[in-house]
Amino acid sequence: MTRGRIVNQVRTLRFLSGEMSQAELGQAIGVTRQTIAAIEAGKYSPSLEAAFRIAQVFGKPLDEVFRWEAER
Amino acid sequence: MPYREKIAWLSLVGIAVCYGPYFALTYRSPLLDRPLPNLELMTLFAWAAGGNAVWVLMGRLILRMTTAPDDRGPPDERDRAVDRRASTVAYYVLIGCALYVGCFMPFITSGWHIVNAMVASVLIAEFLGGALIVTGYRRGLK
Repeated sequence: MTRGRIVNQVRTLRFLSGEMSQAELGQAIGVTRQTIAAIEAGKYSPSLEAAFRIAQVFGKPLDEVFRWEAER
Repeated sequence: MPYREKIAWLSLVGIAVCYGPYFALTYRSPLLDRPLPNLELMTLFAWAAGGNAVWVLMGRLILRMTTAPDDRGPPDERDRAVDRRASTVAYYVLIGCALYVGCFMPFITSGWHIVNAMVASVLIAEFLGGALIVTGYRRGLK
């Protein structure tokens, strides 16, 4: 099995969306501010549903928000 | 710090502060060998359990008053994932300890030794569950 990790652009996309706060994004997708912080820090990989909701908030396809990065 | 991590810390400190002295006092105490009902140790245990209950209730009340309503809402998917992992491990530890206490200890000891071992089993499982919740929030779930 290939080892790797999920990386995301949530912090960048929040910045590009008028500096949307973590609390606002969390409220929009139904999670807490701390969970958004954990997702941005790579400490938590969201469920598929939450990932789709985040992508929907930013109006982007899922693969522009989350990406699988294989370890070399 | 997430609200539920604070509650886990509260539980961990409560176990150490309230039950630590109880086990320090009763460990290898001659009172352990008295026949049941062992009222001296039962009283001591009641103080520890009562103290823990007061600690947890007061702590939760203070945490509730000092945490913003948005930060102490219903658990989200990360809270549930952290809790699920901690509960699963704690459950198997509790089952293992309970099997040891219930199936093996009656052959080698009796009385309050068994009561103490069962209490310790529950506390070990509870402490481990709390510690896993803290590490789940600190180090993350991937």
